[in-house]
Amino acid sequence: MKLSLVTLVGTKVDEEVYSVSIPTTDGEISVFPSHEPLVTIARDGVITVRRHKEDSDNQLEYFAISGGVVKIDYSSVQILVDEADHGDDIIEAETQKALERAIKARDEAGDQVEREKAKQLIDRHMVRLKVADLHRRKRRR
Amino acid sequence: MPSTRALKNRIRSVDSTKQITKAMQLVAASKMRRAQEADKASAPYTMAAEELLSYLASQGATDNHPLFARRKINKRLIIVVASDKGLAGAYNTNVLKKYLELLKRDDERGIENLTLTIGRRASQFATRLKDTKIIGTYEDLPDQPSGLTFHTILNTAVNMFENGEVDAVTLVYTRFVNSMVQTAELDRLLPAGTKILVDPSEVSNTISDAKYEPSIPEVLDAVAYRLVGARLLQALLDARASEHSMRMMAMKNATDNASDLVDDLTLAMNKARQGAITQELAEISGGVEAMEQ
Repeated sequence: MKLSLVTLVGTKVDEEVYSVSIPTTDGEISVFPSHEPLVTIARDGVITVRRHKEDSDNQLEYFAISGGVVKIDYSSVQILVDEADHGDDIIEAETQKALERAIKARDEAGDQVEREKAKQLIDRHMVRLKVADLHRRKRRR
Repeated sequence: MPSTRALKNRIRSVDSTKQITKAMQLVAASKMRRAQEADKASAPYTMAAEELLSYLASQGATDNHPLFARRKINKRLIIVVASDKGLAGAYNTNVLKKYLELLKRDDERGIENLTLTIGRRASQFATRLKDTKIIGTYEDLPDQPSGLTFHTILNTAVNMFENGEVDAVTLVYTRFVNSMVQTAELDRLLPAGTKILVDPSEVSNTISDAKYEPSIPEVLDAVAYRLVGARLLQALLDARASEHSMRMMAMKNATDNASDLVDDLTLAMNKARQGAITQELAEISGGVEAMEQ
């Protein structure tokens, strides 16, 4: 099954994988080869990729994504997202700081629009932190 | 004939200008490479979104969507993309010429228009015009156009279109064909779907057979906004790649011209110096002859 994770700034993944879990608006779905064709909407969350069938849990790979569109057919999964960060690319300390800034921005927001924007940022950073955490645990094992 | 010293001074000044243009050429070349890479990177995303949209449009799903609403054009929003800095050859001139043509055509058809400018050159130009209203100017966009500024521009355009404040949104930008060819173009951003590149018959079966969750309209909503965003981003990236390519060419020409000028001036200076020596010798030998007589 071919997975392509495409963002506006470039293709993040384009290779054969065994399975992939995607957070969608209707809940998390796991896609294995020969999945029926499906087009759905991804929400902010963590994508988990298992490259080979025999891979153990600590060989999984994680990506933090912010909403997008998912297109699945029998032999491929294509995910169009606004942003995708691999566990390797996330610097935990920086994300933590960015999260604190976003929380501060939400508390000090003057109007609804600013508050919404800050909330979105908070969600995004939370997802990133989660991915960083999963990634770190994986290395320790 | 100018004196050797004057020529020497000119050579020195042309030489230092040449060093500057050479440096600007190298800077533009490296920026161009990065801009081109970014430009190419967003293509797969746009392609995939276009394919999906093409199918949804063929199913009639787009008929009632606010971003696809085709109304009679009474009011238009024009987004002009130019550069912040000059010295990029005909880059800004071409874009602004295209923009003026559009204004003139709208004027003849009685279409009112609003302008949103990106880049200092565009805002300086547009503020001097009488027949358009400026609703926003954006300057000093980062090299990688993303984040807040980009979304502000996108949201402005989308909201104005959805609220019916404007009936069309047109982009005036420079399309990047390759390093040698860049053309100023008009592109319709909204209503979406006026220029779908993928033929519905070419859409793979997997899309047309697929289930849509939660529902086709909701998927369409997610795709449509993203595609409009991708179009705008692509235009900005194209404009940036074009700007750097044209600046590099302009600076290369300037450097070449400076080299030619230095060569000419050096020749003139050598001639002047030789002339002075010959004259001095003639004076000395003339003096000797006069003393011998």
